[in-house]
Amino acid sequence: MTDPNRGASTSEHTMVKDYILSLMLPGLGHAMHGWWAKALVFWSLLAIQGGTLYLAIMRGRLAWFAYSASKSPSEYWLSTSVLFLLLCGVWVFALLDLRRSIRARNEKNYVQGYWQIVSRRFSKDPKGIVGLLIIVFVLYIALFAPFYARGNAVKMDLVHFLASPSPEHPLGMDNFGRDVLDRLIFGSRVALGIGGMATLLNMLFGGFLGLIGGYFRGISDAGIMRFLEIINSIPFLVLALLIISLWGSSILTLVIVLGIFGLGPARIIRSEVLSVREEDYILAARAIGAPTGRIVLRHVLPNAIASLLVVTTMAIGVNIIVVAGLSFLGFGIRPPMPSWGAMLQQAQEFMRTAWWMAVYPGLCIIITVFGFNILGDSLRDVLDPRLK
Amino acid sequence: MFGYAIRRMIQLAFVLFGLTVVLFVLLKAMPGDPARVMAGLGATPATIEAIRVKLGFYKPLHVQYWRLIGGLCNGQLQAMTYHKPVWTVIIERLPATVELGAAGMLLALLVSIPAGLLSAIYRNSPLDYAVTTTALMGISIPVFWLALMLMLVFGVILHVLPVSGRGATLWGWSFLTIDGLRHLIIPAVALSSVQMAMNARLTRASMLEVMRQEYIDTARAKGLTERVVLIKHAFRNALAPVVTNVGLQVGALFAGAVLTETTTAWPGIGRLMYESIIRRDQAVVFGLALFMGACYMVSYLLVDIMYAYIDPRITYD
Repeated sequence: MTDPNRGASTSEHTMVKDYILSLMLPGLGHAMHGWWAKALVFWSLLAIQGGTLYLAIMRGRLAWFAYSASKSPSEYWLSTSVLFLLLCGVWVFALLDLRRSIRARNEKNYVQGYWQIVSRRFSKDPKGIVGLLIIVFVLYIALFAPFYARGNAVKMDLVHFLASPSPEHPLGMDNFGRDVLDRLIFGSRVALGIGGMATLLNMLFGGFLGLIGGYFRGISDAGIMRFLEIINSIPFLVLALLIISLWGSSILTLVIVLGIFGLGPARIIRSEVLSVREEDYILAARAIGAPTGRIVLRHVLPNAIASLLVVTTMAIGVNIIVVAGLSFLGFGIRPPMPSWGAMLQQAQEFMRTAWWMAVYPGLCIIITVFGFNILGDSLRDVLDPRLK
Repeated sequence: MFGYAIRRMIQLAFVLFGLTVVLFVLLKAMPGDPARVMAGLGATPATIEAIRVKLGFYKPLHVQYWRLIGGLCNGQLQAMTYHKPVWTVIIERLPATVELGAAGMLLALLVSIPAGLLSAIYRNSPLDYAVTTTALMGISIPVFWLALMLMLVFGVILHVLPVSGRGATLWGWSFLTIDGLRHLIIPAVALSSVQMAMNARLTRASMLEVMRQEYIDTARAKGLTERVVLIKHAFRNALAPVVTNVGLQVGALFAGAVLTETTTAWPGIGRLMYESIIRRDQAVVFGLALFMGACYMVSYLLVDIMYAYIDPRITYD
C-alpha cells in the first residue's frame, strides 16, 4: 500500500478506491491505510448509532416508520431525525477526514492549521478525552431519551410507589410510582437543554458587554463595570430566586434569567479583550484604516476564542448546577416534568424510606458537570500552553 | 494609597445606591400583595385597604423609595410577617450564618492549602492527579446534594450525627456546646466543599507560578535546603492571591448558605432569605439582599486595599 515510487495518477486511483470503500462502510478507507484508531472510532460510532436504531425499531418508536400503533409517533420525530442526521454524518465525516488525511500524507508541504494542532494535542490528553466522552454520552442519552427510556417518565403507578430497586426498575420507583431511571434519562434533556441555551445567551450577552467594555474602554467600560458590580454583588442564586418569584417559573424564564444575569463570562471576556487589543496586529489593522466593527469581529474576537471556549465549557457546568439548585428550591423546573434538581427536592421528604430517589439524580448532576469541568480544564491546557 | 481608598469608597456608595434602586424596582414588580400578606388570612378588604394606606402604597414611587431607605436607616422598617423591625429579624438570624460560614471557610482553608501545596510540589505525581481530580469533582458537586448525602449517611443510616437543625446554643453560638457542634458538622462540610476545591486549585496554580520565578532559582543556587526554598520563599509568596481570594468568596458563601441552610434546616440568613421570598415579605428580602450586597462589596474593597498592602509592587495610582 505504501509504495514510495507510486506516481500521482496511481495515488489518484487509490484515492477513488478508498472513497468507494469509505462509502460502503465508514472507516474502511482508513483501515486500508493502516489508520486503525480512526477506523475504530468510526466503527464504534456506527455501532452505537446502529444499536440506537435497532432499539428504536424494536420498541416501535421510530417516527414515520413506527409499526406500533398504540402511540402517535409524532413525539419521537425529533430523536428520529437526529438519529438519521447523525448516521449520515458518520458517512460524510469519514469521507472528509479520509480526504484530508490522504492529502496530509501525500503533500510534503501540507501545513497544519491551528485547529489541527489543537486536535492533535487534545487527542493526547486523557483528561479531555474523558470529559468529552462523558458529555457525548449524556448528550446521546438526552437526544435519544424516548428510545432509551422504557416508559415515558410521567406515567404513575400508584401500586408500586416507592418500590426499591428491582430488575424491572433498576433504580427504583419514586413517590408517585414513576420509574427513577426513566426520569433520569429524560432529566438529562432539561439539564443539557437549559444549561446549553442559558450559556449561549450568556456568551452572546456577556460577550457583547465584555467586547464593548474591553475594546472601547472609557465611559462605556466604566458604566458596564459598575452595572456588573451591582449585579454581581447580590449572590446570583438569590437574584435568580427573586426574579423567578417575580416572573413565575417556566423554562423560558429560567433560560432568560440565567442567560442575562449570569454575567460571570463578561468579566473574563473583557479582560481577555483588554489584553488582545494591545497587540501589534490590532495596531496594524487600525493603521491600514480597517473599520472598528471589522477589527472587533475579525481580529479581536478570533484571538480571544481560546479563552471563550474554555469559559463556555465551564459555564455550562455552572449553569447546570444553578438550574438544579433552583429546581431543588422549587423555583426552577416544576414537578411533572422530570429534572434532576426537582427530583432531589421530592427525594428530601422520603430520605428515610427511599434513598435511591436522592442518590441517583445527584450522581447524574455530578457526572455531567464533572465532564464539562474536566473538558474545560483540558481545553485550557490544550488551546493555549501559556495558560498552564 | 489613601486617595485610592477614598475614591473606592465613593464609588462603593454609588454602587450601593444603584443596588437599592435595582432591588426596589424588582420588589415593586414582584407579584402578590404585601398588604394581604401582612393582614393575614381572613382579613376584611377594609383592613387590607387600611394597611395599604399605612404602608404608603398609593404614594408616588420615589416617595415610597425614600420611605423604604429611611426606614432601613433608622431601623424602624417593620418585617411584614414577623412583627419586628427588619434589622432585628436579620440580626437574630445572623450569628448562625456567621458561624456556619466561618466554620466552612476554616475547614476549606485547612484542607485546601496543604492539598494545593503538596500537589504543586509533587507535580504530575499520583498525589497531584488525585488532588486535582478531587478538586474538579468538588466543583462539580452541588452543595445541597452533598448535604443530603451527609444527612443520609451520618444521620439516617449511621446515626452518629443529628440530621438537621442547629441544636443547643450558648450565648447564641452553637459551637460552644457539644450538641451544637455536632449539628454544625454536616452543614459546614457541605458548605465548605466548593471553597475547598476552588482554593486547592488556586493554591496549586499560584504555587506553580511562583516556583517558575527567578528568585526561586536564586534561592536554590545559594544552597538553601529545598524545604526552606519551598516554605519560606515560594509558599509565602504563593499564599497572597489565595488569602485575598478568600474575601471574594463572601458572595459565593451567601449563595451556598441559602442552599445549605434550606437543606439542613439551619436557622441562618440564607434560610431567612428563602423563607422571605416564599412568604413575599418584601421588607426582609430588601434588607437582606442589601445586607448581602453590602457585605460583598465591602469585602471586595478590603481585598483590593489589602492587596496593595500585602504586595508593595502594586500601586493604584
